[in-house]
Amino acid sequence: MTRGRSGSARTVAAALALGGALGGLACATSPYQRAGNADDVAGAVARAHEPAPTGRSVAYLVLAGAAGPRLAAYDLTAARLLWTRPAEVTTRVVAGAKVIVHGDKGTTPNGELVARDAATGAPLWRHPFPSSEHLYGYAIDGDAVYVVTRVEKTPSKQAGALGAYDLGTGAPRWQAALPSARVAGPAARGGLVAVPLESQYVLLFDGATGAEVAQILSTEEAATFVRALPEGLFYGSRGIFLVGRDTARGSRHAPGYLSAQLPPFVRPTYDYDHYHPEQSEYSALDRNRVLWRVSAAAGKPQFRDGLAFVHDYRFFFAFDASSAALRWAYVSPDDAVGSDDTGRAILFATSSGELGALDPITGARTYQATLPGEVVRGVTFDAEGFAPPPGAGASTPPDLLGALTAIIADPDQRFPAMKLFAIEELGRQPGREVTAKLIAILQNDKAAPLAVQKAGEMLVARRDAGALDLLTAALRAHADYGEKRGAPPVEVLARAVGALGPLARSVAPELDVHLRLPETTPSAAAEIAKALVAIDATESVPALRDFLTMYRADPVYERDPTALVAAAEALLKLGGTADRQLLLFLAEEAHTAAGLRAHLSRALGETATAAAR
Amino acid sequence: MKRVGFSLALVLVAAGGPARASTSKSESKADETPRAARKSKAAAPKPAAAAVPAERIEALRLAVIGADDTAAMGAAASLGAAATPAAVEPLCEVLAAGATPARLQAVLDALGKLGEAHALRADQTTVDALVLYSGHRAPDVRMRAIKALGAVDDPRATATLLERLGDAAPDVRAAAAEALAARHEGKAAKRIFALLARGDTGVAGPLATLATPEMIPRIAELSGTIDDAVVADALGDYVKRSDVPDKLRIDVLRTIGKLSGAVATTALVDYIASVPAKDDRASKKEAQKLLDERGTTP
Repeated sequence: MTRGRSGSARTVAAALALGGALGGLACATSPYQRAGNADDVAGAVARAHEPAPTGRSVAYLVLAGAAGPRLAAYDLTAARLLWTRPAEVTTRVVAGAKVIVHGDKGTTPNGELVARDAATGAPLWRHPFPSSEHLYGYAIDGDAVYVVTRVEKTPSKQAGALGAYDLGTGAPRWQAALPSARVAGPAARGGLVAVPLESQYVLLFDGATGAEVAQILSTEEAATFVRALPEGLFYGSRGIFLVGRDTARGSRHAPGYLSAQLPPFVRPTYDYDHYHPEQSEYSALDRNRVLWRVSAAAGKPQFRDGLAFVHDYRFFFAFDASSAALRWAYVSPDDAVGSDDTGRAILFATSSGELGALDPITGARTYQATLPGEVVRGVTFDAEGFAPPPGAGASTPPDLLGALTAIIADPDQRFPAMKLFAIEELGRQPGREVTAKLIAILQNDKAAPLAVQKAGEMLVARRDAGALDLLTAALRAHADYGEKRGAPPVEVLARAVGALGPLARSVAPELDVHLRLPETTPSAAAEIAKALVAIDATESVPALRDFLTMYRADPVYERDPTALVAAAEALLKLGGTADRQLLLFLAEEAHTAAGLRAHLSRALGETATAAAR
Repeated sequence: MKRVGFSLALVLVAAGGPARASTSKSESKADETPRAARKSKAAAPKPAAAAVPAERIEALRLAVIGADDTAAMGAAASLGAAATPAAVEPLCEVLAAGATPARLQAVLDALGKLGEAHALRADQTTVDALVLYSGHRAPDVRMRAIKALGAVDDPRATATLLERLGDAAPDVRAAAAEALAARHEGKAAKRIFALLARGDTGVAGPLATLATPEMIPRIAELSGTIDDAVVADALGDYVKRSDVPDKLRIDVLRTIGKLSGAVATTALVDYIASVPAKDDRASKKEAQKLLDERGTTP
């Protein structure tokens, strides 16, 4: 049933009236005259009714592998497969009370929409799309499915359309022409259908009649998605707006706006971009996203339990949404192809057929089931409020140190930023064990340079005097070709020792040894010299003398005398009169590196009076 | 490894030259050790100290520590050729004060020559200097320090030589292995074998010197995992040792005979050549037989 612009007639009339009042005819032609009208939006939300939950706990699994492409329904509570049907699923499964809908390759150029009996998987109806019609998205609410398409009337003329169909039969109920061809997939909840348009508008329609009832204007960030949850209707992109009076104009300052504080490695994707139909297919986007639910009181939403969850392939994290503090981390052996926060659990399915649930508060696995031999390509959960039965593969909450260590040690090279984050988080944890792990990262010759650098920074910053023996032991290791052992990370270890100050003086002999080893780099030597000063190691004066004399005329240090200068500074601070005489000799001897000579002439002059006392 | 005396000597040098007094004191201490005394009496030929007047040594000292690099290197060579313990001290002065790599190498070469002439004693200053420079960043400097250190009969020298077997530079590892082999340091054999197992060409000879009979099958088993030439080198040198029973020699020669390449052939030829013409030992015949077979085998 086509209703044309009937739903917009009231809007257009109002716009014309407003345009006349303002004396601007150009404005009067805009279809977005009521964009941002808070009364309209509040009225629409008030008229919407609370959606009824389906009451099911089902995972719809898109399967691949030897048995061919299939769609299956798995009952999480009963832990059994309900049905499996051959299907070439393209776009995501959306579940209604008795019917599910998904995209399918079909036989027409742009595929088709398929509705199936949720209980048996049997096809109920199909809606093919010709080459002139492109599917942008669909949403189920009650007994209707709402479909947004873009139709090419001519190659140069395109139009957006929102259609309503009977969920059980596929019969058209109404169709509304959208005011732009720049359309996005819809969301529907409680009799209200939301359609993003032109990145900055969200139009709200009456699900029963197709009448346009309100227009949201997102003024500060693009509205790339709309999402219906039991707790409300949302739109947003970099953040989340709860549709309501105060978000009618989409300001980030509105009480209805939410954005979680998340670490830099997280791609803050609160939902896929509904303007890109390809993103409505099962893809890598399902494996790398933010999972979120809110609790809304008096129109002011908050992240439920103050947490935002991140699914990043094999890894799940819970963050304090206001501080980005890590609460827990869970590492799955395989990539999780999809996940959902269903209120009482974080549900996921892995590519190898594991279905799991995590406790949102603790990260403990509360559910585990497997589909042996299956290759899972995508998953949609219809399991709002699913509470795993006791003992269904439950485990203790994940040990944070263990999880972070597993992430850092993971040979998978896809997650360098996440590994840096894990190292940083590890460094923030207390205890000797953490210091030992950071040192182990530094000693791992397979670790990425950035990971080593980050581990070094965290080691230096934590100033763990209780782990002095670990630093000493790490410094005692020397490079040995025969034993296939590389040099320890002397530069960082020296900085870590130096950061402890005189408390670390007992490590001086180990640092001295490295000053005399061939593999010690000039930069490491410089750090050693600085550390010796920091720990007040007067007993290291002979080693400093040896280093200075051995390399004072070396061409390497002629080019960059930093290490020599550091050693000379250390000798000046830690040594006595005889050492000043040595430095004077070095300053005057023609073969001494020019940079060192210049520095010594200045430094000896500046400290001459103090030395004379 | 503790090094306490060397830097102090350096300070004295820098302050005006009483290093000589300090060094002499250490020297006398070192001379008191029974091992050093035993070596100086039993092993060392009479140094040619008397042949070089003190004035000449002093002139060379001034040149070797002087500002002119070319003159210094010439003086270093002369001091090395002097074959007298008196030549050691000026050279150590250079090490104590530091110098350009070229001058350091000349000085260490000179000390090496003095070592060959048994004029290098295990005094504190000398050992400290050589141990220090065996840890220099430049492999050429380290290698020379190691060679000189090999001639010093002192436990600290041994420890440093063992440590340098793990050096990153193959030439330094080879020098350390050779020095340890020359000292018949049996405890180095295991580490040297590990180097050979990694294909370290330079340690084949030293390992042959130090290998025990039990180690020979393990060396033979390396064939195929490393270059056969390295295995042939090690086994070829081993059979030439006078302390190896002739029966074992035959087994080793047969193993060499199975190895591929010219080095294995050369090892057989070398062995035959190393046995006096009058000596008609069975292993010589076996080597000849193996050699003949290699000649006829395509």
